[in-house]
Amino acid sequence: MMDQWVYSTTGLHEKDFETGRVLVETWKSKAEYAWDAGIAMGRFLEELRCGRLVGRRCNSCHRVLFPPRMFCEQCFRPTAEWVTLAETGTVMTYSIVHVRWDMVRLNQPQVPAVVAIDGASQGMGILHLLGEVVPESVKMGMRVQAVWKTPEEREGSITDIRYFKPIS
Amino acid sequence: MVPADRLEHPTEARTWKGSIPVWHRYTAGIAGERFLRVLKEQGKIMGARCGACEVTYVPPRMYCERCLKPLPDASWKEVGPRGELVSFTRVYLDLDGEQLKTPRWVGLVRLEGASGVLLHYLQLPEGVPLRPGIQVEAVLKPAGERRGSILDIEHWKVV
Repeated sequence: MMDQWVYSTTGLHEKDFETGRVLVETWKSKAEYAWDAGIAMGRFLEELRCGRLVGRRCNSCHRVLFPPRMFCEQCFRPTAEWVTLAETGTVMTYSIVHVRWDMVRLNQPQVPAVVAIDGASQGMGILHLLGEVVPESVKMGMRVQAVWKTPEEREGSITDIRYFKPIS
Repeated sequence: MVPADRLEHPTEARTWKGSIPVWHRYTAGIAGERFLRVLKEQGKIMGARCGACEVTYVPPRMYCERCLKPLPDASWKEVGPRGELVSFTRVYLDLDGEQLKTPRWVGLVRLEGASGVLLHYLQLPEGVPLRPGIQVEAVLKPAGERRGSILDIEHWKVV
């Protein structure tokens, strides 16, 4: 009974465009954007450029949030102060990947990991890469430290840290 | 750089810039494809008429938008090439918001036999002031240069 509402479709294939069997308009746009980092992320990025990691403390629950936030999502209160953190941390979890984020096959596997930073509250981690490490030897709980770009190379980005390497 | 909580001017705030490449591919559909093919091969602008609603769609549709009846081949008929200039304006920016090197004029035209209007480039006449209501004519590219696009119409020309 529902068949009366089902219309036959016309499937198209790449060849239809190549041979000109079907007319097609192709064009490209450049969607450029400027994303306002805000107060917390703005400071976070600036501190990265200076080679430092910062968090924000909530005076209600006493957690140190990392990355920093201007409000505590559990207390619904503004956070109170900046907290300078260490550049060492602990691997919470990780993956060994053979395909890059943009679907390109990697010759050498990468090890993205969530690293909880010392000085922030339990489990407050960021996603980054591990380096100078044999992928198979990575373990949860592994202690790592940040490897930074040189001051001249740093630009105020999470990539100012090249990767985290095991603390020897 | 000033820490974010001591900013005095919004432009000092940190922004993260990026760009997303977007590619588009547009096909005209069954009625649209035929409209463009006739334009390319025969140099004619086609419409499709719904007799019940007394509406002629340009470009043609597969069915009437108002009463939803199918518009078969027999309902197709040629419109224009002349028509009435309903409105017009001068355009200074391109689709990405960049300044055009040379501003262009565009005109909204109701072709003879069509119910709706078509937007296209407008050629400024010599010595004749533009005003709504004047007669224009679609100027097509030479047959060899047409490729099955609305741009096979070069522009409207004031007659």
